[in-house]
Parts: sequence; C-alpha cells; structure tokens
Amino acid sequence: MIELPILDAAEATDESSRMRFWRSFSHLRKDPDFQKIAQQEFMPGALDEPGGATRRQFLQLMGASVALAGLTGCRKPVQTILPYTRKPEEVIPGIPMYYATAMPFRGVLRPLLVESHEGRPTKVEGNPEHPASMGASGVFEQASVLTLYDPDRSARVLREGSEASWQDFVNFAQQFAAGAQARRLAVLCEPTSSPTLLALRDRLAQRFGQVDWVTYEAAGDDAEALGYQQAFGRPVRPHYRFSEAEVIVSFDADFLGPTARNYLADTREFAASRRLEAPGDAMSRFYIVESTYTNTGSAADHRLRLRASEVPAFAAAVAARLGVPGAGSQGAAFADHPYVAAIADDLRRAGARGVVLAGETQPAVVHALCAAINSALGAVGTTVRLLDTGVPATPSVDALRALVGRMRAGDVDALLMIGVNPVYDAPADLDFAGALQQVPQSIHLGLHVDETARASRWHLPRAHYLEAWGDGRSYDGTLSVIQPLIAPLYDDAHSEIEVVNVLATGLDESGYDLVRARWRSVIPGNFEEGWRRVLHDGFLPGTAYPAVTAAAGPVALSGLPQPREGLEVVFRLDPTVLDGSFANNGWCQELPDPVTKIVWDNVAVMSPATAEALGVVAEYRVGRYEVDRIDLSVNGQTVNLPVWIVPGHPDDAITVNLGYGRDIASNRPRRVTGFFDLDDYTDVYGQGHAIATGVGVNVAVLRTADSMHVAQGATARPTGETYTIVTTQDHGSMEGRPLVRMTDLETFRANPDYMLEQEPTLPGGEPWTEYPEPWAEDHPREQPAYHDNPYYKNQWGMVIDLNACTGCNACIVACNSENNIQIVGKTEVGRGRELHWLRLDRYFVTAGEDDVDNPQMVMQPLPCQHCENAPCESVCPVAATVHSPDGTNQMIYNRCIGTRYCSNNCPYKVRRYNWFNWTKTLPITLQMAQNPNVTVRSRGVMEKCSYCIQRVREVQQRAGLEDRPILDGEVKTACQQACPAQAISFGDLNNPDSEVVRWKQNPRRYEMLAYLNVKPRTSYLGRVRNPHPSLEPTEA
Amino acid sequence: MARSNPAETALDAHSGDGYDASPPLVTGNLSFHDITDLVAYHAEKKTPVTWLMAFGLASTGAALLLIMLAYQVWNGVGVWGNNVPVGWGWPIVNFVFWVGIGHAGTLISAILYLFRQRWRTSINRAAEAMTLFAVMCALIFPTFHVGRVWAIYWTLPIPNQMEMWPQFKSPLLWDVFAVSSYFIVSLLFWYVGLIPDLATLRDRAALAGKTLRARVIGFFSLGWTGANRHWRNYEKAYLILAGLATPLVLSVHSVVSFDFAVSVIPGWHTTIFPPYFVAGAIFSGFAMVVTLLVVARKIYGLENLITLDHLEKMNIIILLTGTIVGFAYITEFFIAWYSGVEYEQYAFINRATGPYAWAYWTMMSCNLFFPQFFWVKKLRRSIPFMFLTSIVVNIGMWFERFVITITSLHRDFLPSSWDYYSPTWVDVLTLVGSFGLFFTLFLLFLRFVPMVAVAEVKGVLPEADPHYYDDHGDGHGAAESVAVRPSPSGS
Repeated sequence: MIELPILDAAEATDESSRMRFWRSFSHLRKDPDFQKIAQQEFMPGALDEPGGATRRQFLQLMGASVALAGLTGCRKPVQTILPYTRKPEEVIPGIPMYYATAMPFRGVLRPLLVESHEGRPTKVEGNPEHPASMGASGVFEQASVLTLYDPDRSARVLREGSEASWQDFVNFAQQFAAGAQARRLAVLCEPTSSPTLLALRDRLAQRFGQVDWVTYEAAGDDAEALGYQQAFGRPVRPHYRFSEAEVIVSFDADFLGPTARNYLADTREFAASRRLEAPGDAMSRFYIVESTYTNTGSAADHRLRLRASEVPAFAAAVAARLGVPGAGSQGAAFADHPYVAAIADDLRRAGARGVVLAGETQPAVVHALCAAINSALGAVGTTVRLLDTGVPATPSVDALRALVGRMRAGDVDALLMIGVNPVYDAPADLDFAGALQQVPQSIHLGLHVDETARASRWHLPRAHYLEAWGDGRSYDGTLSVIQPLIAPLYDDAHSEIEVVNVLATGLDESGYDLVRARWRSVIPGNFEEGWRRVLHDGFLPGTAYPAVTAAAGPVALSGLPQPREGLEVVFRLDPTVLDGSFANNGWCQELPDPVTKIVWDNVAVMSPATAEALGVVAEYRVGRYEVDRIDLSVNGQTVNLPVWIVPGHPDDAITVNLGYGRDIASNRPRRVTGFFDLDDYTDVYGQGHAIATGVGVNVAVLRTADSMHVAQGATARPTGETYTIVTTQDHGSMEGRPLVRMTDLETFRANPDYMLEQEPTLPGGEPWTEYPEPWAEDHPREQPAYHDNPYYKNQWGMVIDLNACTGCNACIVACNSENNIQIVGKTEVGRGRELHWLRLDRYFVTAGEDDVDNPQMVMQPLPCQHCENAPCESVCPVAATVHSPDGTNQMIYNRCIGTRYCSNNCPYKVRRYNWFNWTKTLPITLQMAQNPNVTVRSRGVMEKCSYCIQRVREVQQRAGLEDRPILDGEVKTACQQACPAQAISFGDLNNPDSEVVRWKQNPRRYEMLAYLNVKPRTSYLGRVRNPHPSLEPTEA
Repeated sequence: MARSNPAETALDAHSGDGYDASPPLVTGNLSFHDITDLVAYHAEKKTPVTWLMAFGLASTGAALLLIMLAYQVWNGVGVWGNNVPVGWGWPIVNFVFWVGIGHAGTLISAILYLFRQRWRTSINRAAEAMTLFAVMCALIFPTFHVGRVWAIYWTLPIPNQMEMWPQFKSPLLWDVFAVSSYFIVSLLFWYVGLIPDLATLRDRAALAGKTLRARVIGFFSLGWTGANRHWRNYEKAYLILAGLATPLVLSVHSVVSFDFAVSVIPGWHTTIFPPYFVAGAIFSGFAMVVTLLVVARKIYGLENLITLDHLEKMNIIILLTGTIVGFAYITEFFIAWYSGVEYEQYAFINRATGPYAWAYWTMMSCNLFFPQFFWVKKLRRSIPFMFLTSIVVNIGMWFERFVITITSLHRDFLPSSWDYYSPTWVDVLTLVGSFGLFFTLFLLFLRFVPMVAVAEVKGVLPEADPHYYDDHGDGHGAAESVAVRPSPSGS
C-alpha cells in the first residue's frame, strides 16, 4: 500500500518553492479572512439552517396575503391610459386620416386611399384621383388590410427553421457578398413594376458575378404581353376602352373577374357601355366564349361554352371570317358555327368600335390573333390603346425551368425568393423543392412561414405593403409611391427593397431612403415639393406609358394548340384567394365564389353531362351539399378533389382553382376549453393551425411547365368518398319570381315600363307607392313639420344597376371591412349563419326547360332594402330596430334582446344574427382591423346593413359644422365606393339634382317584392340584354 | 247498504230541472264519504315506491332541462339548430305546443262550467293542474329563446331610466301579456276551486292528529269552514273567475297565433290562424288530459269518478276539434290557391311536397285522419285505443307547429336565402327536459293535492239535489234509505 504524505494546511499553502496557483487576490495576499474561508469545506451559509421566515411566519404571511389579495381580487387590474402629451400634428382622435398609397398586384399597382384611425389602417379604398382606379377597389385590395393583421404572419427571421435576427441575416448577406464576383446569385421574384427594385436589380448584377433575375407568378406566363409583342413586334400592353365599344368579344377572357390585372378600370369601362338611362340609349353587345362559367360570363349577352383548347380554333374561325391575314383554315371546325357568323357580322359592322380579347387560359398566339383582329378592325386607338411598356415580355415559365436546371446542377450559390411560393405552386415536373435542396443558401422573403419558407435556409418576414415604402406602376404605367401607414408590426419584417439592398450593397438601409433616392431621378423639378405632391396624390401624373399606334403583323397560326380527346383540366386563379396568397385571409375564405357560392373549399367544376359521364353527383342534403370526390389525374400526378356541377360549363372539361391546400405555419395554440364551453369551436382562429391550412386541395401539382393553364388528357375516377361542401346560396333558380327582372333591348325599347309591369300590384290594382316619393310634387317636404327634425332634411335611398353589376364580390369585402363583419368558419356557414350584410344572389336563368346546359347567370347584390314600411320594425317587442328620421332602418344593438322575429319577418332575409360571441376570441392583431366607428357586435343580437350610417352621420356632422347642405355624392357607402362598375348609387332622395334621384327615375327601376307594400328604399335597375337577332330566334 | 239507483229516480221525477241524469256521472254507488275517502286517501297515504320511481325519472328530466338551458345561456343560441332564414326553430315549436296543451284545463273548468257541463267536475282539477304546468313549460321557451336572456325584462312595461317602453305593436309583446294573464287567472281559478278540498284535507289531518299537516294545509285553505256565507262567496268568485278565464282561453292562443299571422311570411300571414290555433290547442289539450287521466284513474283507482263516459266525451271533443283543424289545413291550401299569390301557393305546395313533406304528412295523418276512428263508438270507449290516439294527436300537434314554424321560414320569398333547418342534440334534450319538468310538477300534484274536485263531484251526485229526498222519504231523516247513510256531508 502506498502511503501518501499528508499535507497540512501550512504545507499546502507553502508557495516558496513551487509555482503558485491562486484563486483570487485575497488568496494571493493570504488574507486572513480568506484563509478562514478556505479552511471550511463548504461556503459560508451552505450549512446554515434556512433563514428568513419560519413555517409559522410563512403561513401567517401567506394567509394574510391571500386575504388581502381577495380584497382586491374583484377589481380589474389598473391599466392607465394617458392622452398624447404632445399631440402629433394633424391627428384628431376619432377623425380618421386618409393616405394615398398603392397595392402591388400581379405586377401592377392598384392605387389606393387608406383610412387610418390613430395610426391604424382599417379600410382600403380606391384612389379616386387615379385613372386606373377612379376610387374603385377590388376584393384583394379590400382584403389586404386583414392580411396586414393576419395573426399567422411571420414575425421572426428564421435560419434553418430556428429563430434568428435581422442582424444575423445582414451579417450573412455581408459575408456572402464578400466574394461577390465569384458568387452566383439567383432571384425568383414576383412580377414587379417597382423602379426602385429594378434599380437594385441592376446593382445586384454589378456586384455579383452572376445574377439570374427570374420573374415568376403562379398564373404562369403573361400570354397577353407575349401575344401583343408577337403581333406588333414590340412590347405593348393593350389598354381596353370598352366604353367606346359597340361589340365586345372575349375568348375566354375573365377580364371582369377580380383576378384580372386591370379589372377595376376594365369593369368601369365595360359598365359604362351598359348603362341605359333612357330606352333610346346605345348599349354594347358582349359575346363571350368561355371554358368555365365566370362572373364575366354572367355579364355577357351571348355566352358560348367551349373547352379552353377549342377556343383558339373558334377565334381563328372568327378571324378567318373577318378576313384577318394569316387566319388560314385553323378554324375550320367552327366555320359554320352560328356564333362565328354573328360575331363576325357584328364585329365587321362595329369596325373600330369592336374589340376582341383573349384570356389567360389561351396561349400567346391567340392573344396575337386578337391583336391582329383588333388591328384589322381599326380598333387600335379607339377601343384598344397600345401602351408602350418598353419592357420586352419574356416567357417566365421557360426562365423558371432554366433556373431550376441551374439550381439542380449546383450552379446557384444563393437563391432569393421574393413574394413567391414555388414549392407550393411551381409546375410539378420541375420538382422545384428538390432543386431547392441543391442551393446552399436559399432565402425566402414572404408574409408567412409557408411551404417555401420551410424548405429554405433563410426565411425573412416580409413587410406588408401598408408597412413599408415601395413604388411601382399601375396598369397604365402611372408611377406611384407605396406609402406605409404603420410601422412594421414585427421588428424583423422588411420590404423586398430593403432585402435586395442588403444583398446588393451590404448596407442595411431603410426603404424610405432607398425609394427617395430612386425617385430623385423620377420627379422633375424641386424634389421635396414633388415628393410631397406624389405622396399626397398617390401618383405622379403624366408618367403613364405612351400610347402608340401600330399595325399588327401577320400571325403565324400554325402553332395553334389542338383539342384532344379526353378530359381537359383548366387551372384558374381563384377569385377569392387568388394564387393562395390570400388563403390565410378570413374574409377571402368566407367570401363566396362568384359563381359556385362555395366558401372555404375548392372543387373540380364540371358540367352536368360530364358529371353524369363520370357518375358523380353533388347532392343537396339538409342544407349542405354532399358531393362525390374524384381522383383527378393528369401529367402523371393525381389529386383528390370534391366535384361541383355548374350548368354552362363545357363538357369533357374540369376547372380547378389554385390557391387552396396551403400549409402555413402558425404558432398560435389550439384553444382548449371545458366540455361545456364552445369557445374552442367558435374561435375560427383558435384551431391550432393557420386558417388556410387544411382548406381545399392544392391543384398546382397537376401542372407542368407546358400546361400551366390547360392540361389535356386527364382522367377522373370517382373514389366513392363524399365530402361536405358549404355554399352561401343553396338554391339557384328564381322559381319564376320577378326578382332579377330582365328583358332584351328590343322589348325594353318597345315597352320601357317592362320592368315595373313584372310585379303584381296591390289588391285592387292601385299602384303600390301610396306615399309620395320624396321628389314627387305632393311630397310633404315643404310642410313645417317635416323640418322640425334636422334629420328629415335628408332621405337616403339606393339604386343598384343590375345591368352594370358584374358580380365581382368587391362590395361584399368592402362591407366586411367597413362594418366589422366577423367570419364564422365553414361549419357555421353550412348552418346558415354567415354574417355578410351584403350578399350577391346568383340565379341561373334558362329560356326553356331543354336548355339547362346553356343557362344565363344573373347577379343581384342584396343589402338591406331599408323598407319605409319595414316589416322587421313592427314585430320587435323591445323597439330595437326602428326607423330613422332620414329614412333608414336602424338596428340598435344595445337594445336588441335577440328574439330574431325581425329576421323571420324580413322578406329579403338580409338580417344576420350573432349566434355565438364571434369577437370574444378575436386575436389581438385582428382587433386592430376593426373600424372604431362601428359597434363590434356581441352575441345574441341581430345585425344588418345600415346604409353605412356611420358615414352618413360623419358627413352630416361635418356639413353641420360647416353650416352647409350635404353635397350629392359626399356620402358614399362602402359597397358603392368599392364598386368598380359603379353599379350602386346612394344619396339623398330629397335632393332633386342628386344622382340617386336621377337613377330612380330610370325607366328600368323597380323594387323587389313591391307587392308586399314594404316600400323599399333600395331600388334595382332591371337588366337588359342586347342579343344578336340571329341568335335569338324566339322571344321569351 | 243497498240503495236505489239515484239516476233512475232523478230521471222520472225531475227531468226538467237541469240534470243530466243519464248516464250517471259517478258510478259504483259511492256515497259522499266514499268520494272524500277515495280522493283524499291519495294525498294522505305514505309515498308509494312507484311514485318515487316515477318522480325520480321525471325530475331527472327536469334537471336535464336545467342543464340544457344553462348550456345554452353560457354559449349562445347557436347551440340550437336555428339559422337564417329559420330564426325560430324547436324552441318556438315547443312553446306553441305547450301553450296548446295548456288549453284544455281552463277550457274544461271555465267554459264547460259556464255551459253547465256537469261531467267536467271529475276531470277539471287534474286538467287545470295540467294547464298550469304546461304553461310553465311553455314560458321557459320564449324566455330562453332570446339571445340575451338577461335583458328579457325589457319586454315588460317597467318604467326605467332609458324612458323606453316595449314596442306595443309587436305580437311578441302581446304574447307576454296574453300568456302571463292566462297563467295568473288559471292559477287563481285553480286555487279558488281547491279551497274547499284543502279544508277537507285539513280537517282530516286534524282528526288524525297530524297537527303540522293541518296547520300547513290550513294556511292554504284560508280559514274555510264550509259556512253558508263561504259557499256563497266561493260560488260567486268561481263564477267571476270562470267568466274572466273564458275569454282568456280563446285569446291566449289567438294571440300566440298572431306571432305568425301578423308577419308577412307566406304560410304565416293567414287570417284563419286564430280560430285554427284555438281549435288545435283544445284538440291537443284534451288529448293530453286523456293521456294523463287514463293512466291516473287506473293507478289511483278512480274509475268510478272518472268514468268511461267522461273519457268518451273528451274523445268526442278530440274528434270534433281534430276535424276542425283538418278542415283548417285544407282551407289554407284552398286560400293559397285562391289568392293567386305565387309565394303563398309555393309555401303550401312546398309544405306538402318539399323537404319537410314528411313532417307535413305526419301532421296530416296524426291530426286529421287518426282521430276519425273515434266515429266508431267502440273505439271511442276503448281505453288502449284512446290512449294511443291521444299520444298520436299530441305528436301530430307538435308537428303542426313544426310545419307552420319551419316550413314557412325555410323557403320564403327569395330562393337565394332558402336553407334547411336541423335541430341539434341540445334542441332534442331541451324538449325531453321540458317533459321532465311537466311530469315532475304533475307528479307533485298527484301526490299532494286532491286530484279530483271532491266538493264539486259531490255537487253533481243525485243526493246533492235538494229535491232528491222528495221520493225517498221526507228529507228529514225519516226514510230508511236516508236514515242508514252514515253521514250526509263530506267530513
């Protein structure tokens, strides 16, 4: 056994001969206190008994604090609010501010005016000064404000899926750029028209050895731009002026649908050509050849259903008949079609006042053909203006294919993806996700942690356009600055300009500086003055693309695609969620499809004959639709989809909408409540996943780079499963009732009172308006009693022109946004509990029983009719719904006890009821989207359209303060303001010069269900079709 | 103790003085005392086990009702199946159903009283109790049916700081008044009729030495001694209340029908509703009385008091009112066609052929066709058959309200708003629970209150006729048949 020498303390500290090890200065100095401590095995206090309170004291203290806490426990925690100590200039609490800005949409800007309440944007309007909007706004602009507040928006920079900071990314970018000349960078960007971003693109190209800038959009190539470039030999953009047109022919162009780039201006122009103030007025004739029923098709005078692959031949037949050079014999199949004859006949007669256009499903050559037809008609310069964009159009899908090839080959060191989601929607044959794995540094900039974000190395949260500076051009080329209304909700969020700038320069500069720097060369004259002007107006006048005149060259039609046997699948952008970028937006998900009225789902749309051939049904059962599911296979891929049957859809074709089947990450937990508490059920946002997740099916995987719009040779196999589809309108026939009154132009001219005569009169046959209309001679407006109450001065009324309405849904979303209308989710919509104050009724109309395959479709916006003799008012036991002195039917939420008798007694069924408390669990960010001027309703009360009474009162107050009468058009309801067709007129019936009075005197005016003598304040202007005589042999 | 058949003797000597002598209203040769014993026994005996079991079952149902209402108030009206367009679903169907049930009792007590239908005396107490309990069940539904039940008192004209009155134009407000006054008057009427019998119970308890029981019942019997003055006041009060209750019987369901008739909805907006609803209410109310009494008379051995003749009379009324209701159904159809209004026409065609045709034909067969079997006297007097019919009728009447409420709403003017209504489990359990409450209350009634109006039944016995003794001695105790009777009065 080895004995080790025992060291005593003195020896141990003897440092004379060895190296000295010391712990601290006190050790080194041999401080006696330290010596004492060093002797001890444990540090001081470690062996002491626990000090402080004894058990008894502890219990005493706890008891006392519980008792004292109990005293205060009944009170809410004190949260002190303070007024602004120094009030920001211009801000008056309660008075909203409006800022001009613009929203990037599919490569163009939609000019906007955004309402802000104490720094919180709440409502989007069109910029009334801007030529591309004229105050109108569409579904997506309206809904974008909810996307800003989307509780699932990405908030943090992610690196390899775990949280990082913006600075980490900046550091990475600087390192990456260190060897910039050797780096091969690729950028996959959404279509953009931003001068600042394009300038940064050039700087990127200067800095890096190789930069591939690829523009990519889920919708694929911009075939129109390619086609017009092909026809005219230079990059021109057609700008249609339908108001000048006598004959409009659409080859599968859904130009009145909210997904179209220039739909706001196009709809306005189109509606202008349809407005009939007097029977003698001229009206355009609109033909459409469609591969699926769209709301554009519902506006047509003649609609022909054709498979998308047959449309080119049809267009060629029309061209051949018109003698357009190069048309050749490609259209032989349709040479004898009566529609071809009628269209050609009409176009020839219209000449320069005719216009043809083709849709996104059509290849570039068909667009070129349209360009040639327009050119041959002499329409260039009258109904079609050619705007010289100066940017050559390139096939973007080919560029994407090339990029993916380089990615796979390892030729891309870093890929920056801006606002795109290729992992979700790139053509399946490219296998983008696989190629992305080959890229060492992939950077995704997007609003959500989506499919692509999770497959990328870096994810950067993108700043919403309402949060960041930017710029761009509207469809006509007018330059605008995108002005933010709020600082980014999340610190990490940055705009694409800022991100590209970091890569291009290595500097973390603010978007404001970058945009201003770029605009210094844009604004002529004094920059600061001009900049302020641009911000105020929202655009820089005079910057539109120049219009050019050119003649189309001959079109080579040899490459026309030929229809093939078997099913064909048409891919469309969804009219409610676009390409999926609005899929996580509750307003969009709950917005009914304009045609199918389906919410929260996408379907395989087919004709009744195709459904029968496939042996599938969509059965209406107890308030919902039980539909079959099919396995739809094309291009070697299969998706499982529920079917939907739309009469008027071409046979042997299936239409599917993109944008569903999203998988967006969410970090909001699932709401868990006790069994007795339905909060977990009623909380649409509390399901534990993003609201888009699990809704519908992603059909983009069926596409290949060659069949981005139309895929042929598909097969569909019923799987035997059924699925519940929920619509907001279950019944599509008017049952012969005079609801939407329509006739053709000849009948209307022969009998201008046709619309009014459609209704039964009151018993005895007297006219139903017993009380004089406010503008009538015998109206008591001159009587003193009428003036006792200042509110009697204005009598509000509305007229909706069914001839102008195209059913695009913009009004519904505008109403949602203005009036704090909550979403209720699929199940509750299926139970008939949606809360939309304004709905668009869609009816199919057939001339005869045997023509069910070719029905017409009519749209009818239905807000509260504000009956003067309102049946809802007299039945409320507590007087919670009453008539205002200015003639609106008002709902007093505070007073309502929720008997629902008013709703039962409403013949229009426009009242909506809060079956549950929909706002109790609203995420905090979404609470910021609420309009403070409109009560947020709690459970158990009725609600309905108020004619935007808050807007009426605001204007009345302002006019009262300024001691002046209210001007005509000063009050605009949200639906009216949004409507791109200007189909809604609202105003004071007491003002004989007001627009609404003029509309009310239109011979087409009628009131729905007038026989009930409810005297609605909302009138409709009947629909008049303008059919071609040769296609309308019998008069219904 | 043989005695001559009183009916026989009454017939030959006094057929002209308002007696319906044949057939006898009470069988079994019961004396006054027998009747008292027979009825009072059930309120005094030890609680039977079967009663406890039945009560346990019923009160479980009542508890279920309470739980369902709590669930609904906690979460919102959305737990039911209601929607837009069908704003009123099962709760209102149940309300009208229960109010309808609550018609028979007061009709039997008041209207038949005024019409001197003396057979009513055996059944009126139970029928009135049924009325009260049915109206209680009914009142629950419109109350909890509103979205914000905590503000329901706004429907009452209470002066308040908001200076807001209820809206007197609303039929719902008329409902509040009509049903609540009906309930109050019915309660008073029932209670006034109960006073002499309560006094009887009190005296019997006192004789049996049950002091506490005598005191409690004594409190409710308001010091009744059976004095001549008491009887005079009693008869006057009863007559006045009968007079008050009679228009209410007719008004309450007329007003309930206004909830529908005053609206503009096709299928609701119908002038035929008030008489048709009243007839339907009497129809269902009598059916419910038959259902309850067929069981109660058997279990409690009251076949001699509630005789087959009583039941047959009620069945005749069921037959009559059922036919009236069926006639109303057909008239509605005719008027819809005759009006020439397409919305009206569609509403009725849709009822018979639309998605709810099953409900419509259930209603038609239960209410119009099934009671027609009562034309056959044998079936009319068959206990099993009348029990079956009475239940079928009530199912049919529930469906009538379902058809009126829901088929009219689910497809009205604009096809775009058409939808379908399906109840939820909460709807179903709430209805089940309301039956639980009803039977709970009815069982309590059977247990603690004389279920037959003892004093009134005695009044229709031949012996109660002042001239009864003219043929049986001199009326002063001389005749043997009188002399051997143990006691002429009830207690």
